[in-house]
Amino acid sequence: MSYSTRQIGAANTLENRVFIEKDGQVVSPFHDIPLYADESKKVLNMVVEVPRWTNAKLEISKEEKLNPILQDTKKGKLRFVRNCFPHHGYIHNYGAFPQTWEDPNVTHPETKAKGDNDPLDVCEIGERSYTGQVKQVKVLGVMALLDEGETDWKVIVIDINDPLAPKLNDIEDVEKHMPGLLRATNEWFRIYKIPDGKPENQFAFSGECKNKKYAEEVIQECREAWEKLIFGKTSPGEIDLTNTTLQSTPSFSPSATSAVPTASPAAPAKIDQSIDKWFYISGSA
Amino acid sequence: MFKRLFSSVQTGSKYSSAYKNYLKLDNGKIGSYMHDIPIEYDQTSGLLNVVVEIPRWTNAKFEISRSLEANPITQDQKNGQLRFVHNLYPNHGFPFNYGAIPQTWEDYTQPSKFVSAYKGDNDPLDIIEVGSKVLEVGQVVRVKVLGSLALIDEGELDWKIITINTEDYHASDVNDIYDIYHVLPGMLENTREWFKNYKKPEGKPSNVFAFNGEFKNHEDTMKVIEECHKNWKALIEGKVTGAKAPKVTNATLEETPGFTSFDEQKLLVKTDAKDEEIPQEVNRLYFFNN
Repeated sequence: MSYSTRQIGAANTLENRVFIEKDGQVVSPFHDIPLYADESKKVLNMVVEVPRWTNAKLEISKEEKLNPILQDTKKGKLRFVRNCFPHHGYIHNYGAFPQTWEDPNVTHPETKAKGDNDPLDVCEIGERSYTGQVKQVKVLGVMALLDEGETDWKVIVIDINDPLAPKLNDIEDVEKHMPGLLRATNEWFRIYKIPDGKPENQFAFSGECKNKKYAEEVIQECREAWEKLIFGKTSPGEIDLTNTTLQSTPSFSPSATSAVPTASPAAPAKIDQSIDKWFYISGSA
Repeated sequence: MFKRLFSSVQTGSKYSSAYKNYLKLDNGKIGSYMHDIPIEYDQTSGLLNVVVEIPRWTNAKFEISRSLEANPITQDQKNGQLRFVHNLYPNHGFPFNYGAIPQTWEDYTQPSKFVSAYKGDNDPLDIIEVGSKVLEVGQVVRVKVLGSLALIDEGELDWKIITINTEDYHASDVNDIYDIYHVLPGMLENTREWFKNYKKPEGKPSNVFAFNGEFKNHEDTMKVIEECHKNWKALIEGKVTGAKAPKVTNATLEETPGFTSFDEQKLLVKTDAKDEEIPQEVNRLYFFNN
């Protein structure tokens, strides 16, 4: 698997885009990258959006053609997550599973909430990564965050090449070999929007992290939802379905790659010092 | 605030054994981080000057060199390997800005006046700075002293003086150690836990503390600083002799035997070197929770 990135503009600017390439051709990280790297061995592909210990809120664009990774904005300003003491930025390598979708039209029978209209979110708990990396991972469990009323599953995975990976096969192994990580993850997702003046997030299942089997079922549901989307059985709304490899889909367009600008990498723009600020959310530490 | 303006000048690549970061005085000459920055401490307000060695959220163990001419900041080495601290989950590198108080010295030749079972670690007093701004290697900052923690590091007394940058968002809200519990909840507990565990990834046991790990308040801490400033005075005046004692050469203290003019040509060899890459294993996480 030879994926690489095509960077347009400097990180931490409104112009910045990170496209994913395969053998020089631009592919959509939402639609073209196969969910499974090796289905028989249960190895999945994950697209890294935000590397651990960084603050820029980078995500796969649903609306732009071929779905580049870009920094989320609010009222025209770049979004950064705040540092909730003692955490620094995002505490995992954060990203998404390709070829999955949390359908906003469907209410989940157990969480009683609708999907958030995004690809399925993934927390990779191994060593450091970079934006646009396509990692091969194994699934360990899942948490059901209820983010402003929507179900926002967070699948917990580890890179198959991480030194700890051989020891981690299901959710209970995480507590055994990485004690405190799940508790910190739960806490982080509950409080991370409080510095922006929002209420504490809630988790379904009393915050419990569901095991690998449950996670696999969630992934399967989100894969089926994406299949309906890409084959035109569900209305896409503003989602751009253009892809360069799925010949049997209505939105297949191999020529779309030529419309993508050539690479123009630049050194990251300086992030304002205010982003380094610590926030002390009383009682959470 | 300062009567003098300080800056830094670097030679050798950062994250290499050749790296040296020297203090530059406002007259353009090289000075010593340990001796040439006046401590300027104010007993009542608790304000004084510190030098930043390690910015928050970084791993490289930079410190003021005792043995090198002009006491530059270098990266500590152990068995010929550059030292990086490990990430103690959920912390990233050092969870605070870390540095030293100039013109102080923890005397290793005689027992401490405050913890008589131990001698000092032969370094300037260490500080942690708990503010929100990420400071830079070699930066000279005016801070307010809030309290301290008496770490016993491998048998030596190694005070950690807790301070806050006078330009921090919360600087006016905290004046003594107890204020930290209210204004920066979790900070002190996390700090103690971090110092307890930080050498465990190297296979060493937990560190221990004097006073059962209790934090000392502002008043007691000012006495410690005063004592270490006195010790430094004895050192710089040539009244302490020890083979391992820090170099006392300096560029500003005309009355002292070590007063000299540092040879810039000789000290600054390569000033435009690019940073070396930080080894991948420095990113690893270590878990000691519960």
